[in-house]
Amino acid sequence: MKDKSIHWGLPILLVLIALPAVIQDTFFLRVITEAIMWIGLALAFDVLAGYTGYLNFGHGAFFGVGAYTTAILMMQAHWPFALALPMGGVLAGVGALIAGLPTLRLKGAYFAIATWALSRAVQQLALIMDITGGPDGMRLPSFLNPQFFYYLMLAVVAATFALLWYLLECSPFGLKLKAIREDDQGAMALGLNPTKLKMQAFILSAVPTGVLGGVYAYWITFIDPASTLGDLVSDQALVMVVFGGMGTLIGPVIGALLIFAFKTLFWAYLSDFQLLYLIILGAVIALSVVFIPNGLWGTLRGARSQKKTEEKKDEGPAAKLSPSEGE
Amino acid sequence: MAEPILKVNSVTKCFGGLTAVNDVSFDVQPGEIIGLLGPNGAGKTTLFNVISGFYAPTSGTIIFKGQDISGKPPYTLADRGIGRTFQVVKPFAGLTVLENIIIASFLRYPKRKDAERHAWKILENTGLTDRADVSAASLTLAGRKRLEIGKALALEPTFLLLDEVVAGLNPTEADKTVELILELKKQGMTILVVEHIMRVIMNISDRLVVLNFGEKIAEGTAAEVARNPLVIEAYLGEAAA
Repeated sequence: MKDKSIHWGLPILLVLIALPAVIQDTFFLRVITEAIMWIGLALAFDVLAGYTGYLNFGHGAFFGVGAYTTAILMMQAHWPFALALPMGGVLAGVGALIAGLPTLRLKGAYFAIATWALSRAVQQLALIMDITGGPDGMRLPSFLNPQFFYYLMLAVVAATFALLWYLLECSPFGLKLKAIREDDQGAMALGLNPTKLKMQAFILSAVPTGVLGGVYAYWITFIDPASTLGDLVSDQALVMVVFGGMGTLIGPVIGALLIFAFKTLFWAYLSDFQLLYLIILGAVIALSVVFIPNGLWGTLRGARSQKKTEEKKDEGPAAKLSPSEGE
Repeated sequence: MAEPILKVNSVTKCFGGLTAVNDVSFDVQPGEIIGLLGPNGAGKTTLFNVISGFYAPTSGTIIFKGQDISGKPPYTLADRGIGRTFQVVKPFAGLTVLENIIIASFLRYPKRKDAERHAWKILENTGLTDRADVSAASLTLAGRKRLEIGKALALEPTFLLLDEVVAGLNPTEADKTVELILELKKQGMTILVVEHIMRVIMNISDRLVVLNFGEKIAEGTAAEVARNPLVIEAYLGEAAA
């Protein structure tokens, strides 16, 4: 029953660790670092969207909270990066706790609208406050070491993947979340507390997002409300997860890689047609929602398991009966 | 008589101006099957929802095993030993039948492996073993109702609320479900059944409680209830009584 694709995890991780030794081109390393970041953001988004059934259009706010927390602690309080970064995750988690109390009572479109509105409020706050630098944003000390950020991003995302794999695919927690997604009333009758589980999922989704925001801030050395608190992070993560396959951990990885590769290639070779990028992206999403609602990975996996059951049927009724006869 | 496992004390439930259940009281003894009868809209399902914690009673109390459980949330009651099914079945459609039961098994077996082992036992008892790996959405109505019972049983309840688990089944399937219910009674489970099919409910219940327009109009054995003029009136109209 378990997904065997996890066995690819270790070899892929080893290749990724060895990669900077092969790639000397800093631009290319930078592109891969960003791709890894998007994988992390898409994974975290999927905890709530795919597993729990709540589309969080305020996902980007946690990214921004992590980025600003790290930046403010480093610049105003003169904390070292190693301490400021975890605080980014902690504050994103606290933010999720506060935002979740009112919003997790809502469902479907109402939850999406409420989280979107909250994230707009957070962006406005960053625009008017002094400590965040208002619309001018914040500049961080530059630490020009592409390898360092590559490995840091890789470590954060690999740890996120491992944690989510354990919690969502191995421990009971993942199945409980899916029960809430499928029918929260039915889940309640089975002894599950939906409010508690949804809150745990929300925090689990927010903390890695906040940490990634912190890494991003120090890496890019400049953050402003438009780049870290805009709609971009939520929208992009949503598109990646839907295209790759919601409710799985492999789907967001595939979706993030393909969408990010498309975006990067487009901007590299067709930057004169920027408008076209959004149009094509929109069309791809509309088509994938209509024709492959389970996303790329969901559809592939569905086809594979269907093949398996058909093979089972071919074994004939005798094979099917034997286990019950044995008892 | 032994101490009742469940006491329903003058329970009233209003929705705005509508009184769905009005001052209903009855006791359930351990090991009994109580049938809850009544025409459409009599308040049976509402009373079910009050007992299982989905609604808090507007007034009155529910005492389960000597403790007041009125208004306690369903997940707490599941832990105390109350299992229920839903009239409109609630399978986790996107998950497999086995996963559905595993989720219910987590209550008593928090470890994944133990829960899975327990779930296979439940599948066997409810005759769903060969459907374990199909998605719950692809089950027939009969299968879904069995799954519904299976999930309630996976909670290892001492008190089971069954809401129309036979309605909509063909006679063979219905007989199988009745067999299962009687088997559970033999194991000592206390059961409250809501059912429309008279043949079934008259046969399996030790005692019946009849509701009409939210009020209790009769209580007693099948024979007693069937003779009660108020019951006849509720079902057949005034002229017949």
